[in-house]
Amino acid sequence: MNLDGSAVLHADPDRVWAVITDPAVLARTIPGCESLEQVGDDQYKMQVAVGVGAIRGSYAGEVRLSDQERPSSYVMHASGAGAPGNVRATVTINLEPDGDGTTLTYSADAVVGGPVAGVGQRMITGVAKRMAGQFFTAIDAELTGTVVPIATAPSAGTAGRPSTAALSETEGHAPAGGRVFTGRVAAPSGAVDLRSLAVGAAAGGLFTALGVVIGYRLGRRR
Amino acid sequence: MTTKLFGEPVRRREDARLIVGQGRYLDDIGSAALAAAFVRSPHAHARIVGIDADAALDVEGLVAIYAYEDLTGPMAEPLPVLIPHPQLTSPRTGYPLANGEVNHVGEAVVMVVATDRYIAEDACDRIVVTYEELPVVVGVDAAREAEAAVHEEIPDNVAAVHHQETGDVEAALAAAPRTLSFTQYIERSGSIPMEGRGVHARWDADDASLRVYSSTQASTSVRAAIAAKLELSVDRVEVIAPDVGGGFGMKIVHPWPEELLVPMAAIALGQEVKWSEDRREHFISSAHERQQRQEITVGYDDDGRITALDVHVWHDNGAYTPYGIIVPIVTATQLIGPYVIPAYRVKVESVYTNTVIVTPYRGAGRPQGCYAMERTLDRIADALGMDRALVRERNLIQPDQFPYDQHLTFQDGRPVIYDSGDYPGLMAKLKALVGWDDAASLRSAAEARGKLLGIGMAMYVEGTGPGPYEGGHVQVLGSGKVLVSTGLTSQGQGHETVFAQIVASELGVPIEDVEVHTGDTRRFGYAVGTFASRAAVMSGNAVALAARGVREKALRIAADVLEADPGDLEIDDGLVQVKGTPGASIPLRTIAVLSNPLRYAFDEAAKQATQFAIPGSDDKPPVAVGDAPGLEHRDYYSPIRSTFASGAHAAVVEIDPATWEIDVVTYAVVHDCGNVVNPMIVEGQVHGGVAQGVGGALYERMAYDADGQLQNASFMDFLMPFASEVPDVVIDHQQTPSPLNPLGIKGAGEAGVIPGTAAIASAIEDATGRRIASMPIAPSQLYDLMRDENAERTMASAARTTGARA
Repeated sequence: MNLDGSAVLHADPDRVWAVITDPAVLARTIPGCESLEQVGDDQYKMQVAVGVGAIRGSYAGEVRLSDQERPSSYVMHASGAGAPGNVRATVTINLEPDGDGTTLTYSADAVVGGPVAGVGQRMITGVAKRMAGQFFTAIDAELTGTVVPIATAPSAGTAGRPSTAALSETEGHAPAGGRVFTGRVAAPSGAVDLRSLAVGAAAGGLFTALGVVIGYRLGRRR
Repeated sequence: MTTKLFGEPVRRREDARLIVGQGRYLDDIGSAALAAAFVRSPHAHARIVGIDADAALDVEGLVAIYAYEDLTGPMAEPLPVLIPHPQLTSPRTGYPLANGEVNHVGEAVVMVVATDRYIAEDACDRIVVTYEELPVVVGVDAAREAEAAVHEEIPDNVAAVHHQETGDVEAALAAAPRTLSFTQYIERSGSIPMEGRGVHARWDADDASLRVYSSTQASTSVRAAIAAKLELSVDRVEVIAPDVGGGFGMKIVHPWPEELLVPMAAIALGQEVKWSEDRREHFISSAHERQQRQEITVGYDDDGRITALDVHVWHDNGAYTPYGIIVPIVTATQLIGPYVIPAYRVKVESVYTNTVIVTPYRGAGRPQGCYAMERTLDRIADALGMDRALVRERNLIQPDQFPYDQHLTFQDGRPVIYDSGDYPGLMAKLKALVGWDDAASLRSAAEARGKLLGIGMAMYVEGTGPGPYEGGHVQVLGSGKVLVSTGLTSQGQGHETVFAQIVASELGVPIEDVEVHTGDTRRFGYAVGTFASRAAVMSGNAVALAARGVREKALRIAADVLEADPGDLEIDDGLVQVKGTPGASIPLRTIAVLSNPLRYAFDEAAKQATQFAIPGSDDKPPVAVGDAPGLEHRDYYSPIRSTFASGAHAAVVEIDPATWEIDVVTYAVVHDCGNVVNPMIVEGQVHGGVAQGVGGALYERMAYDADGQLQNASFMDFLMPFASEVPDVVIDHQQTPSPLNPLGIKGAGEAGVIPGTAAIASAIEDATGRRIASMPIAPSQLYDLMRDENAERTMASAARTTGARA
């Protein structure tokens, strides 16, 4: 499937770029991310959990960034596989100045396979919208500093173990390869306000592509 | 004990299982299955603007959500028009899930699958479908006026114009000494089986095979439909009809959307999925029948003999025509019943309305046809001041006129040629049974009690047992057990009993040894289905032919063993013996073992068999060319045309002039379905049919409002007769065997329901002196009719000194 969309973020393209390509930030902003391991330049392995219906499950994913034109565009290659199925997606992302902020636009081409492909488009797109909303809300919160970052103290050991990491100070830039960044598995705290929901909806396409790769434990929100 | 059971009132063998709650119905299957539920249209006619399922994602236990966009390949195409017809010029069918437009309340829009039905329903509640409402068409008159169109590309709402003619009606009417013209209506009702529809599907990914259980009247056809729509090879699909809690016609429709969607989900999710219909779903998304507007002109002479009949019917076919124009054809061809009609012209316009589809419900257009014909005869009698029975007698086909060709084409495309019957015989028996000639004294006796009494009668001819075929398989096992299977399904009719009676009688075995299986594609792959009063005629004859094949082989093998001529052998009580030579015998079960040259001595039967075994000759193969191992035979029965059963009903009603409650105090039935396999079961069929006939005449209606909302879609509001409303039925039998099939039988399934509306309308008219031209009729409607100064009075009432006054 092909999906396009956009989101408005409250920082200039340079800051958005820095944040959105920072593994530490990604690890704590990608919904359902249990861990994210840098395995090379702009290349990451992820362990993510999804909690919706037949999509529910733990997935091992890979994300690689290419064709980087900082701060205006890059291409994200994402793939993931778990018991319920697999997905492969190529997403082109553009950042454009928009007043004090940035308009992020994306165009995704995704292929969903396995049993999960059988749950119906509305399940996948619906979950994706949720996750997109969560992701951009979290990213925007990082940019506007409305959340206390969760620690990403580099921890040895293999990826994939869920952990609600202890709080401690850390600087935001990406550590060297091989480091593991622990994500927050629970959904971002606090209710999503209308604006960010709108952002999420607008941005749905991006995470439609990743809908089964990264998610959050919808089922646990209630 | 005797094994000649054909014609005996053998108790229903299935009842021990069904009555004590041991039946295995659809919802008893797959308790661990995921559950499907549907978001259905709340509007009778609307465009779908959007579907928002976002809120449903919060429901823990949700598994999948499907809408039209999720359907691919043949599933994304319209459902099939099962029975195309050249006169069905504008057929329309829906999609498994609505594709942008809904045409009746209850049409499925979204399917939700969840861990159980409660959760699936919760998710359905959270799915928001946005509609743009369109003008609604409800009822034949609205469809006829066509101020709005159900399908915009069909502005006149006419799906089909069915037309048949047997003579120059215009000329005959012009030449007729007398003519009558009138218009009458009959309302919608429905099959309303105790068990609604239901589907359970399980996909075996390793075996790449699908097993589907469906509460259907046609498992082999459901199988073919699923294979075609889901693009599976038919050999990968099994469809089984488990115990089915009634069908009465609506379960012959296939594939229902749910019969495709549930298997689709089972395959997509790799898990068992089940849906069982709830009562409201049944009312608003299955099928109805009966509604017609009938314009009738009849020409007749001073003796009451009909010279010409011209009938123009508007038939409400609902939103779609998946079952073609079977009901209109049946109305058109069965309307003339047991009568000689020199010139007959019928035109049925089948029109679309924004209501539930119309497909055959027990009687399938016959009750309407009978209502048209019999009410016509009542009006002729009234106009001439003649006895209603006498008018009928003067128009009856006589016993020496068979086979009688009505020069019409029946639903199966074959000519309407009555094979046998004795209609004057029916009339004579009916008059005696109901005490027709004592009506006057009954009336005055009732009036003495402050009641209005009326009597009415109606006759019918029912084409039963249409082809193209049914098959049967009979196999004798080494244990002596006799396995019988046929492809058509059972909905409680007693097939396990009657087919066992037939095989036991043909084969000469105790009925206890016979085990009957129906509606299971694993056992029998070729079948048409249970409808049109055809099961006994079609499968009854098929299993008889199969049993005869087994008997022939058994005698051939026994003849070798007993060194006798097959002609000198007989089978009785499971023992093959030389006639008149006691002791020279061999059990059928032993022959079953002998029929297979491979005989490992697993059991006593095999050991015994060896002592009978004749050493094979070295220059012949153990299994001769053209022969086969095993004592079994498969055969098919395919009739040249339908066989025509007949009957006559009479009803005596008492009406309370204070409440206008209508009480059917006597109901008499004379029934002729040829040779009777089991009179107890035939009488049960008649009783059930009469119950539905009374319901259709006095209680049942589908109360649609102008917006196409069904206002009585529950058992709180939809009136079905209880035992307290169903009269005691007195039955007399007449048997004119059919010359068309080996057993000489005719169908009996639908007969009981056919004349109910006509006979009861006639009785109410007789009691009240007011013309009854719209059925069913409720006490409140009768009250209004009696108070209406302009209501038409019958001539008979004018002549009468007693009776109802305005």
